[in-house]
Amino acid sequence: MSDSKDPEAAKLAPVGDPPSNLHLWKLPRGRHGLPRELVLQSQRERLLAAVVRVTAKKGYQASSVADILKEAGVGRETFYKHFKDKEDCFITANDALVADLEAEVKEAYDQAGSWPQRVRRGLASTLEWFAANPEIARVMMIEMGTVGPIASSRFRETFRRFTALLDDGSKSIEEVPDLPNIANIAGGAVFARVYEEVALGNTTSLPHLMPQLTFELLLPYIGEEAAARERDAAQAEEPQP
Amino acid sequence: MAQHSVETGDEAENAATAKAGVLTPRLPQDIGIRSQRQRILEAMAKSCAEKTFSRTTIADIVEHAGISRGTFYKHFANKEECVFAAADAFLLELQGVGAIAYARSGDLPLNSVRDVIAAVLERLATKPEHTKLLLIEAPIVDPEVVRRYRSFVIGALKSMLQAGSNVARAKADPEIAFGRAKVLIVDYVAAGQSEDLPSLLPELVYIALLPYAGQAAALAQAKNAR
Repeated sequence: MSDSKDPEAAKLAPVGDPPSNLHLWKLPRGRHGLPRELVLQSQRERLLAAVVRVTAKKGYQASSVADILKEAGVGRETFYKHFKDKEDCFITANDALVADLEAEVKEAYDQAGSWPQRVRRGLASTLEWFAANPEIARVMMIEMGTVGPIASSRFRETFRRFTALLDDGSKSIEEVPDLPNIANIAGGAVFARVYEEVALGNTTSLPHLMPQLTFELLLPYIGEEAAARERDAAQAEEPQP
Repeated sequence: MAQHSVETGDEAENAATAKAGVLTPRLPQDIGIRSQRQRILEAMAKSCAEKTFSRTTIADIVEHAGISRGTFYKHFANKEECVFAAADAFLLELQGVGAIAYARSGDLPLNSVRDVIAAVLERLATKPEHTKLLLIEAPIVDPEVVRRYRSFVIGALKSMLQAGSNVARAKADPEIAFGRAKVLIVDYVAAGQSEDLPSLLPELVYIALLPYAGQAAALAQAKNAR
């Protein structure tokens, strides 16, 4: 699919560097047990953390720059030194979160193993990342869709970057079926299901979907029999309660 | 509620008119009310396409529809009620389009599925404003909209494919299949490429058949659909 008809994609602001250690400003605050001042050093990071918290609490549409300032404890002038507006701040925060998720997924996916094994590891790290951060998952999956065309185009880019991982890796299997958009068809199964569980508030139980989603993710590439074997392997790996 | 039964798509509406017209001719005033409501729904779709639902005001709808504010409130309590009515109307229209394509298609279930998907994609492509309203704008207001059309889509596929005795029961989940299709379609709609939706026919045939006919048959049918 060409991006040529997507004028918003060209207008996106450059992405700033993600905060050095994103886990430190993930929700809920204070869980790390360190004084907040030590952890949240720069104003910019404070604002990025604040926009995520405020959005998680009130929803994107209902929250204002004033809410973000109050949460971050910085002045209005400082805010506008870093960001054009609320949308810019929110999208920048989302980019940083995506970068963190992406790094974790890639690390899991890039380890040696058969391609279906690597897919399983990448999927597991995706589900675990969201499950560990249910409020952030809500902000990234649900709130992101209510922001506007720039966010929605950014969202689609992110999805495509994740499915591109499948395209790269699947080159190692014997024969990729001749099916257009196969990576989106495969990845769409995971995305749609994760989206729904997050919307329903079931984010913390996402890792339990590993067997089923392993099957559905690999099915278009390797067929029912081989995908079922991977599903059973994922089932066997599931931590016992 | 009589005037609420109108938005069943042109074909279904014509059929209903033809049947009803013989015995119970409509009063001119009734027709006026029906077309007013229709105009409001069209105006909502137009305004959503221009500036999104959240930025749409009653004033925008009133202006696009060429009606008074009072007339709007005669039909709907607020803009949310109006956007749901518009989504429902378009969904009914699509159901009509699908039913007609199914009736016209042959006896082979796999071909029927292809014909129905093709017809629905064509209609989505020719009405991009309504497509955006149904698939993007209305679900933001209330995700329940998606659940409503999901149960319809899955039910329709199931009845089409179980009508044929030759289809194998594979293990892919129909709800996951719906999710795959939605992701693929919404990606085009959100990018403003609704007019290209018919090009997704092979992929959607594959997705629809996967849970019922299995990987091999679904791939073969997708190839045929190209």
